[in-house]
Amino acid sequence: MLILRPKLSFEVHVEAEITPDLAEMDLKDVLNFEVYYGKLVKRLGDLFDVETVGEGKRLILEGDFSRVKWIGKGMKDGEIVVRGDVGQHCGAYMEGGKIIVEGNADDWLGTEMRGGEIVVKGNAGNRIGCNFWGEMEGVKGGKIIVEGDVGSYVGEKMVDGYIEVGNAGDFIGTEMKGGVIVVRGNCGYVGWDMKGGEIRVGGRFDLPPSFVEENGVWRGDVNVGGKGVIRKL
Amino acid sequence: MVSLEVRNGFVIDPMNGVFEVKDVFVKNGRIVESLDKPEMVVNAKGKVVVAGGIDVHAHVAGGKINMGRKMRPEEMRYPRFKSDNLRSGVGRVLLTSPAIGYEYARMGYTTVVEPAMPALYSIHTHEELDSIPIVDKMALPLFGNWHFVFKFVKNDEIEKLSNFIAWVLAKTKGFGVKVVNPCGVEAWMFHGNVYSLNDTDPLFGVSPKEVITGLISAIERLKLPHSLHIHCNLLGIPGNYEVTLETIKLTRRFENSERQVMHVTHVQFNSYAGESWKDMSSGAEFVAKEVNRNNVTVDMGQVILGHATTMTADSPFQYELFKIFKTKWSNLDVELETGSGIVPVYYSPKVRVHSLMWAIGLEIGLLVDVDKVVISTDYPNGGPFYSYPYIATLLMSEKFREEEMKKIANVERYSILPSLSEERTLEDVVKMTRVNPARILGLNDRGHLGENAKADLVIYDLPPEPNPRDYESILKALSNPSLVLKDGEIVVKEGRVVKHTWGETIWVKRDYDEELIGDELEDFFNYYTVQRENYGVPHVRREVVLC
Amino acid sequence: MKVSCPFCGNVCDDINFDGEVEREKLCPLGESKLTREKRRIPYPMVEGERVSYDEAIERAVEILLNAKRPLLYGWASTVNEAIRLGVILAEKVGGVYDTTSSVCHGPSILATIEEGLPGGTLGQAKNRADVVVFWGCNPAEAHPRHPTRYSVMVKGFLVEGRRLRKTVVVDIRKTATALLSSKFYMIKPNSDFAILTALRSIINGNDNAVPNEVGGLSKSQLREFAELLLSARYGVIFFGMGATHTRGQDRNVEALIKLVQTLNRHTRYILQPMRGHFNVTGADAVACWEAGYGYAIDFSRGYPRFNPTEFSAVQLLRRRDCDAMLVVGSDPVAHFPFDVVRHMAKIPVIQIDPHYNLTTKVANVVIPSAISGIEAEGTVYRMDGVPVRLKKFRESEFWSDYEILKAMLERVVERKGGDVVW
Repeated sequence: MLILRPKLSFEVHVEAEITPDLAEMDLKDVLNFEVYYGKLVKRLGDLFDVETVGEGKRLILEGDFSRVKWIGKGMKDGEIVVRGDVGQHCGAYMEGGKIIVEGNADDWLGTEMRGGEIVVKGNAGNRIGCNFWGEMEGVKGGKIIVEGDVGSYVGEKMVDGYIEVGNAGDFIGTEMKGGVIVVRGNCGYVGWDMKGGEIRVGGRFDLPPSFVEENGVWRGDVNVGGKGVIRKL
Repeated sequence: MVSLEVRNGFVIDPMNGVFEVKDVFVKNGRIVESLDKPEMVVNAKGKVVVAGGIDVHAHVAGGKINMGRKMRPEEMRYPRFKSDNLRSGVGRVLLTSPAIGYEYARMGYTTVVEPAMPALYSIHTHEELDSIPIVDKMALPLFGNWHFVFKFVKNDEIEKLSNFIAWVLAKTKGFGVKVVNPCGVEAWMFHGNVYSLNDTDPLFGVSPKEVITGLISAIERLKLPHSLHIHCNLLGIPGNYEVTLETIKLTRRFENSERQVMHVTHVQFNSYAGESWKDMSSGAEFVAKEVNRNNVTVDMGQVILGHATTMTADSPFQYELFKIFKTKWSNLDVELETGSGIVPVYYSPKVRVHSLMWAIGLEIGLLVDVDKVVISTDYPNGGPFYSYPYIATLLMSEKFREEEMKKIANVERYSILPSLSEERTLEDVVKMTRVNPARILGLNDRGHLGENAKADLVIYDLPPEPNPRDYESILKALSNPSLVLKDGEIVVKEGRVVKHTWGETIWVKRDYDEELIGDELEDFFNYYTVQRENYGVPHVRREVVLC
Repeated sequence: MKVSCPFCGNVCDDINFDGEVEREKLCPLGESKLTREKRRIPYPMVEGERVSYDEAIERAVEILLNAKRPLLYGWASTVNEAIRLGVILAEKVGGVYDTTSSVCHGPSILATIEEGLPGGTLGQAKNRADVVVFWGCNPAEAHPRHPTRYSVMVKGFLVEGRRLRKTVVVDIRKTATALLSSKFYMIKPNSDFAILTALRSIINGNDNAVPNEVGGLSKSQLREFAELLLSARYGVIFFGMGATHTRGQDRNVEALIKLVQTLNRHTRYILQPMRGHFNVTGADAVACWEAGYGYAIDFSRGYPRFNPTEFSAVQLLRRRDCDAMLVVGSDPVAHFPFDVVRHMAKIPVIQIDPHYNLTTKVANVVIPSAISGIEAEGTVYRMDGVPVRLKKFRESEFWSDYEILKAMLERVVERKGGDVVW
């Protein structure tokens, strides 16, 4: 298990595509791991203190990681615990393992996730569990849970998997094909152009005028011949 | 620029009847007969030496490909070249302009034709061409749905049409005459299309037959170096091979001893038999026969399975594609002139129709006379241009075709490809990528290594008659030239770009009398939204004017 | 000769010049740009002290090379030739290229990424459109000659004038454009997304999914609107900030695009964003062919990456993910949110502009430039992408944007190494 702490206050954001694989590497290689500090290519050891603590495929990130992007990108197993806030693109392209963010997450959480689990205790930003620009499919598996609130664009083009958030903004499950999205609180527009899958909302939400009520749920999106379901929690 | 000797290579130069070990000398950007003391000697022993490749049809510059990039960031995410000494370049099938130049050079290609320039946007097309490094380039303005053309053709005013063409080539720095779905694009402005050579456009009432023959008359009158370059009506529709045959037959009343009278582009997409997607089969045999007995040439339009982006001026067809693929769709209606449509596609090996299209392209490449066919993918419609080595290897190796056919849907009942054992030689491939394109375009300074030819030269690590069963070596060698010279400068070494240069833009100048078409110009410019005096391209980076 | 007006996205190219600009065809915007003098920046300055062009450029290059993530912003008010050097400069200094699109029609670009753009040139409206819709835009005030040159009172070969053309305005208030139009739908603010979806549902025969009232329009009004749209032989929908900057943003534009896709099953329609600056379209286009994307492009890894939520100017500055800024022909201090401007005041800022503006107040290096379209020529793209040449009709002592950026690029390559690749 490794504990990472930023050595300095970052003037611009850092891009560190670190996964729990680091915990199984030689310390030398960990310190030499390439990260980006703006346009500067740096070693992980230049920017972070690295402490080895016992066994386990685990990373503990302590201190201010709110300006560190791409944590957990593509990870396949193991665990990452962020003791505070985390930067953008956390858990992007994740395939397995678990990420726990004890503070807040930023935009682009769990982009195109395929498996694994992300839990955020605080709030998160916009674009939760979505496809990246232009891609035709979004999350294909795995679980994203945000205990707090999120912004707009949740579960775009989702194919399968589970996303749960508190309150949210607009555009939940746009062009969804499968999977389940739960909004425990209130949100804005849901299910636009969805083809399949299910959205469950605890509080208020805005239904686009392209859904038909049937047996206490709403089915649609009619404009794409969709068989998606929107129901109240 | 140093003078150079390429020593001991096996020169394949069919235009000059050369097929032997021969030294080649380069000075001041040209091939010379000999040099006493070359400043540099390149050892080409055990390798073949050929002229630089020429692509007669690839959508590499202008509003269409740029809109393709804009609407497909998922295509642009693939880094190819980092910005160290040279330029960065990105893209999967759609590439940025620097990447286009570098990838052509890395393949051993040194000249490219942008085949569809909407004249109103000609400044944009040339701005992009001027941003593509290394290769020489040309652009073909689109004429097949232009209101001026309809008017002149309707009144059989071939002299005025000739003057108009010359005026356009001068204004837009154009190289020749391109036609796409003649009359069909105008019909799309009325939500329609044309379905035969005799259907007429809704505005002027002229038919594709009249437009095609009228334009050929004017082109031959002007003695343009390149013939009519046509994307036939009914592209992409099962059963369309018949219209293709009829279109080719229109050339019979014309004669030209120097070159073809019509170049039918990406003919694979126009070689379909059958009545629907369910029973679609190959019509390539019929098309090849007709091509072989007429004075026409073709380029393949090979489909490469995987991602592609369809983009043509054939706007009604592009809307149909959108209805089928349901992905994204861009359209651009260009006032008075033409149109365009863009739809991303994925050619899947599991889908029989896509696999069949792949097979039909190869049938064309094997059945058409070796002097009449050019390798192309109608980039990016069929696939990437950097797949040309893959296509060449497929044409050269029956075994490779067999292996590839195992990965796709079964096309036995619909295509004769599985039974074709024809294997093109390396010399044939040189014809299909160098000699034919040069002759088709009417350029005598390239496509060969004779005296005074451009020193656009490529060394491939291959023997002159490679073993077709060792197709992996062929593919590897064709994809990684040992050396590429452009105008006598080394631009690629061992498959790596080492120098960023700028090529030439070639356009064709013919005298014209603006007064003769003055009334029409005056009249039609009332309907344009730009001023007549502002129309056209003021300059390009490096210009070569063919008179 | 005829000169072109470098103000708005119309780029009118019929302004007469005979030693002097003739006012006859100028709208108020063009008149202000082409005939009135504004306070010029008189000479290059570093920290308020007068210096030579070379010294200012030297200092600017030093700032960009030393910064970890420099932002190169603006670009919409200069010519393609200069913009191209700007993109390459951003690449060579490992920085970010962003344009005013990120605070303007960015949503339209994002919608184009989702769906494509079913478009056409302005001459299509002029010649063929018998139905013209202005959705959330007000050309009578923002693009004044648009109605007379392209869309309402103009005479085309199939539609000979206003009487044969139905013009519809959709807006939250009765704008000046609404006064020119045959039909006006007043909608509730922030209801564009719902109304556009309702129209689509109705046209697709899914009336039952539409409630009795959407965004202030009754179901029968919506049906009437849908029928009007379908009655066109050729329709054009123009849209602006009313769609891009209200609830839904890029999804509003996507809803417009999907409506047009649906209409094209029945008849012909095109969609046209009303681009504001005279060359914001060029700023997008040049970056697309050079770097693959239109704006919000980061080069920190040596190749371009696109992400407006991460790399647009406001995002970078708000997140303090930017430690130097070059502003070309724009005034972000006047337009950006205050928290963002506060960060601008903390970092080194270089300004290239002919005129003083609020951004000059925070600029450490100020480089005056020639005015594009008056003192410097070049190519720009009109709102529909049609290229227009801006002409030079007045001499000037000031360097053009192109010359300044070229000198900067040359200096960068001198210091960093590399070939001349532009």
